[in-house]
Amino acid sequence: MPRTTVVESPGCPPLRALTTDIIGLVKVVEAHTKPAGAAKVVETWGDPDASRAIVAASLADRAADPVLAVARKNGVVELLNPLNGDALAAVKTVGPSPNDGGAEGDPLAALHLFTRQASDSILGTFLACTEQGKASIRSITKENAASGSDVGPSATWDVCSGANVQFCSVDHGESYAMFGGKGIEVNLWDITSCSKIWSAKSPRANSLGIFTRPWFTAGTFLCKDDHRKIVACTNDHQVRLYDTALQRRPAISVDFRESPIKAVAADPNGHDVYIGTGTGDLASFDMRTGKLLGCYIGKCSGSIRSIVRHPELPLIASCGLDSYLRIWDTNTRQLLSAVFLKQHLTTVVLDSHFSLEEPEEIKSKQLEFSVEAEAEVRKEKKQKSKTTEDETEAQVRKEKKKKKSETIEEDEEQVGVVDHSNINGEIYARKEKKKKKSRAIEQDEEPDSDGEMCSPNRRKSGERSKCLKKKSKKQLVA
Amino acid sequence: MAKEKKRKQPPADAAPPPGDDGEGRSGRKGKKARKEKAEAILPSQIKNKDKRREVHAKLKREKKAQKRALARERGQAARRAEELGEQPPERQVPRTIENTREPDETVCRPDDQELFAGNDADEFNAVLKQHITPKILITTCRFNSGRGPAFIDELMQVIPNSHYVKRGTYELKKIVDYAKNRDFTSLIVVHTNRREPDALLIIGLPDGPTAHFKLSKLVLRKDIKNHGNPTSHKPELVLNNFTTRLGHRVGRMIQSLFPQDPNFRGRRVVTFHNQRDYIFFRHHRYIFDTKEKKVASKDKKAKTSESKSESEKQVICRLQECGPRFVLKLLTLQHGTFDTKSGEYEWVHKPDMDTSRRRFFL
Repeated sequence: MPRTTVVESPGCPPLRALTTDIIGLVKVVEAHTKPAGAAKVVETWGDPDASRAIVAASLADRAADPVLAVARKNGVVELLNPLNGDALAAVKTVGPSPNDGGAEGDPLAALHLFTRQASDSILGTFLACTEQGKASIRSITKENAASGSDVGPSATWDVCSGANVQFCSVDHGESYAMFGGKGIEVNLWDITSCSKIWSAKSPRANSLGIFTRPWFTAGTFLCKDDHRKIVACTNDHQVRLYDTALQRRPAISVDFRESPIKAVAADPNGHDVYIGTGTGDLASFDMRTGKLLGCYIGKCSGSIRSIVRHPELPLIASCGLDSYLRIWDTNTRQLLSAVFLKQHLTTVVLDSHFSLEEPEEIKSKQLEFSVEAEAEVRKEKKQKSKTTEDETEAQVRKEKKKKKSETIEEDEEQVGVVDHSNINGEIYARKEKKKKKSRAIEQDEEPDSDGEMCSPNRRKSGERSKCLKKKSKKQLVA
Repeated sequence: MAKEKKRKQPPADAAPPPGDDGEGRSGRKGKKARKEKAEAILPSQIKNKDKRREVHAKLKREKKAQKRALARERGQAARRAEELGEQPPERQVPRTIENTREPDETVCRPDDQELFAGNDADEFNAVLKQHITPKILITTCRFNSGRGPAFIDELMQVIPNSHYVKRGTYELKKIVDYAKNRDFTSLIVVHTNRREPDALLIIGLPDGPTAHFKLSKLVLRKDIKNHGNPTSHKPELVLNNFTTRLGHRVGRMIQSLFPQDPNFRGRRVVTFHNQRDYIFFRHHRYIFDTKEKKVASKDKKAKTSESKSESEKQVICRLQECGPRFVLKLLTLQHGTFDTKSGEYEWVHKPDMDTSRRRFFL
């Protein structure tokens, strides 16, 4: 018989990833425990249109009220609901002034959506940076989300002039931002005061007197609680560690192969980084010593555009020009799952709160044991704390279901008119949920028979959006 | 020899040569026979050379005979079916490397709407939708000699609207800029090594991908027997077997080199045939001819006597090869135009991808 090779991928623990691609689609990939471990595309949002290609995306990964921001090629930043893909708001121009017309001449390069929320009325605050180096912070309030033209308080500043910004990264506390690119050194900015607090200095010319111009392609903050350590990667395949408290020149500089480094992500343990290159090599480095920990091998042949580390589970997701979303184990450096998504992908984000809302959590627990030992340990800790809430949550869900069915009925009439009312309704429902939760804890002794029957909030909302879409289509046809 | 045989195999076994097993298999003691077969000594295990040769020859002969018998049986069955007017038994399809290819999820499907949307968004769309007529710049590596110039001459006859520019000492990036400013849609660089063309670089302009092919087995027109000379008509294009997503993209890239409105009068056809990731290039002229076809009759005697009287006219197509013949193999596909320093690759051939002979990428 023909000898064939199949990479045995052990499958990944339940997770949910969202990928964006160059024809403007957002695809949701989910892995469940039920058909053990294989990740697959669940939903696709948006219409294929090359002019609306997504260049950057950022997810405010909160348990309640998460928001996904996508920056499109035509200069529009859209806020989406990452659970069902509804557009919450769209801001046309992200340049410093509305008459700048920053669509063609100055496309967006980087986007970061802030996780912390200043107040409940604000839908989302994001930091966007154009290639020419015009950074701006904007927040969209819920009231004027529908209009999209009017935005809340904003701050703009020039990161650089006459250079090409390629990345921007915000630290964990979200008070410092870092910029870098072709022709500019790494800059550290204080977001609150919009002032530059540090900039790097090029390494000295080498023994031949050859000086290389700065060209940074990716960067990240190394530690969660420390904004002073920065890892920046250059086009001439170097990984550099900067310590802003120490000096302006890199503390450690390591070469990695021959191809420019295109993506970097930091590990929550505070010393490891994952890097991806233009030829599809993925590796991890220990930045305390600058040692290569190992490479990730698995038939990856296209440039890696984005790497994301899961906050709890020991896995990373990478995507790039070979149109595969790959999920890797960080401990064994093994490929867990690969999903073919048909287009050149630009970014991937992981929704870390997905596994908590898995429908049959207690059952799945047993299955998960086979997946990954350490993942299990971490999760168990979580679940222990969660089990007390589980019963209450089931109760909440039941009530919420009723609520939602009501809201759907209300919405059905308005679907054709305005889509946003629907979202507002949901937000309202979410708030209700919070209140309910506190109440439900008091009524703890309710039997839990319906717990399994209830589909989780997320799934349900997805289905709901589908049926809504269908309906709107029907209306269109009519 | 007989002694040795006896020594090697116990008399109870009676030294069954493996051919006997074939007969035994059909017999009632099939199980036993199979057991014996497993125990039977392979010719390679025999130490005496003469004996080994003898046993091996016998085995081969038997195998051959068996095969012939099987073929005869099949032929008879087919003939019988034909006589009875039944459906002939299904022909056996040989198992080749192509049709036992490893399953690939990236193979394009005709019902994939996203594929068409992706096509509309890609760099070749303007050329393929005939908004722009393709205009090709051909240049070489810095030192071009040997068969290089002759190959470029022929390539320029193959590709309509192609212009040759001397490379000089310009950097390739400068030439890319030059071509962009003059509205070229593609740039082809023929690289020669030791006076032999060995690589082809196809760059889509202004922002299309860059494909790097290895070029081998080049035969120029003058070395092809009975070659024809191509006319200046726009050729028809045949692209075969570009199945996967990557193959599709490479196919579209090749397609964008040629005008999309061929002159069918010219009866000129250019073929890119992909087989096991090797792209075979051929260039032909064809002609439709009416030919008197002899009707095949059953026995030879009747054929010789009646063939002249029994004939009918039939249209056939005759081919004549012209122009170069070569083979391409994709090495890399780079995103954007030529850039070795900061290039991002859509696909790179890496040695660790060659895990199987049955794994193909195009």
